[in-house]
Amino acid sequence: MNTSAYQVRVTGELNPGVSRESAVEAFSKLFKVANEKAENIFSKAPVVVKKGVDEATANKIQRALDNIGVQSAVEMATAEQVPQAQAQNEQKSEQSTNGSTLERAIERASNAPLKQEVHATSRLVEEQPGYQFKIEGQPDYAFLTVNIPAEKTLRVEASAMATMDTNLVMKTKAKGGLGRLLTSESIFINEFTSQNGPGEIGIAPASPGDLAHVYLRDETIFLQNSAFVASDMNVVVETKWQGLTKGFFSGESLFLIRCSGNGDLWFNTYGGMIMLDVDGDYVVDTSNIVAFTEGLDYKITKVGGYKSLFFSGEGFVCRFSGKGKVWIQTRSVQAFASWMYPYRPVKKKG
Amino acid sequence: MKAEIKGGSAFSYLDIELDAGEQITAESDAMSSMSAELDMATRPNGSVFTALLKKLLGGETFFINRFTNNTSGPCKITLVQPTPGEIRCVELNGDSLCLQPGAFMAATDGVTLGLRWAGLTSWIAREGLFKLVVSGNGKVWYGAYGALLEREVDGEFIVDTSHLVSYDPSLKLKLQLAGGLFSSFFGGEGLVTRVEGKGKIVIQTRSVSGLVSWINPKLY
Repeated sequence: MNTSAYQVRVTGELNPGVSRESAVEAFSKLFKVANEKAENIFSKAPVVVKKGVDEATANKIQRALDNIGVQSAVEMATAEQVPQAQAQNEQKSEQSTNGSTLERAIERASNAPLKQEVHATSRLVEEQPGYQFKIEGQPDYAFLTVNIPAEKTLRVEASAMATMDTNLVMKTKAKGGLGRLLTSESIFINEFTSQNGPGEIGIAPASPGDLAHVYLRDETIFLQNSAFVASDMNVVVETKWQGLTKGFFSGESLFLIRCSGNGDLWFNTYGGMIMLDVDGDYVVDTSNIVAFTEGLDYKITKVGGYKSLFFSGEGFVCRFSGKGKVWIQTRSVQAFASWMYPYRPVKKKG
Repeated sequence: MKAEIKGGSAFSYLDIELDAGEQITAESDAMSSMSAELDMATRPNGSVFTALLKKLLGGETFFINRFTNNTSGPCKITLVQPTPGEIRCVELNGDSLCLQPGAFMAATDGVTLGLRWAGLTSWIAREGLFKLVVSGNGKVWYGAYGALLEREVDGEFIVDTSHLVSYDPSLKLKLQLAGGLFSSFFGGEGLVTRVEGKGKIVIQTRSVSGLVSWINPKLY
């Protein structure tokens, strides 16, 4: 497993409200390079500013860049990106004169203490034990690319495959059977196997929104009924009856998806995603739950008295207690549907 | 001319500053704001016949608008696309690029927008019976629903139908089943496009059919 397979690329785009001049200045200050050099990087963007780092460092650099209003992308340096690297040869040769100073400066900057923020890509693992993957297009239209090693298999939600190498073979399984039908997922699930060498698959979930990844180590995580995207074959995916009161009032479905075992798991949401560490009690609106770890107990309760139950617009909430992690989505599907509902096209009666 | 794509991948827009004497052509309804001094001329997109074809078969508008800066100073204009999603820019130097129907948004002078027979394959693949081809010298802006990602194809690559936004004309598109007969039918993937050759493609990370299948059951 290559842990230094990540690179940071400055896309050349700036956060809203950040002027190019100030970004260049901040960039040159942050990485301690001359103003002209920073200017050069921006005019040649997209430019890879850091290569051969592990994922954590790459994310750190990205955050540092984000803090000064510069947008960047963390990506896997895979074979597919060689042509891109060639296109930037010109840039590299220019950088090579004092590129090493720049790299060292970036390293220094990335080790500096950073403003901590909750980011949708927060992951449970620092080093990457599972499949190589990258998530692009975050947070609005997150897209997952997984590199499946030779003769390995990836389980993917039905109709989520967008691109793949020709050596991947797809098989459709009706595993999960009736349970999956009840969770309003497709009862079928696809398995992609890499034959004669590794293969890459691009996965596009149906709903607009973000994607998250966890690596399970004999752990169990519960997903909201439509959140499953893909998983390692060693992760057991099954549907679980929530119990009548929990299911009926949770506003979602009577069922949850239970994922347990060892390996990678990806899930998606509608809207952005926030990971929260819960220690004690925490209340989440029932329609905003995406996933939570086992060990958290949850109860469906109302926030206030019966008056607020009906008039506050909050209805029932989910009260988590214990210690663990909860992922929530920043928008609710039901809210979107009820907002859209009056505008949907309807056939005139009669 | 200074042109910048802003607004992130969800709601991209194009921010352009036209210098004195410069022009830009955009599909109708793309202009969202502009300096009052800019002159706009509306004309059919080609001859009346080809414009009609482009509208009916290429998913483009019948009319296109040309914005000209006849003042002596720079003027601003912002352009948008009808769907939520990302916008990309491509610079043509005498070469050409195939676009998904409806993807074209704006272009500088020197770029021609043509319509070419794409074949039944492309039609079944939900990419349209005809394809848009932009060629010439200049910049072209195009967009689609979802974020847009570039992929390098060398050999063969499979793209799900309706995810292909643009591709080099040298690439060949073929249609095939996603898996076996059972898998293709029940696995929700159905037919996929097999891209063959060497060149660049741009894919969209979301499809309209995905959005529809996600939201429609919730609207009853």
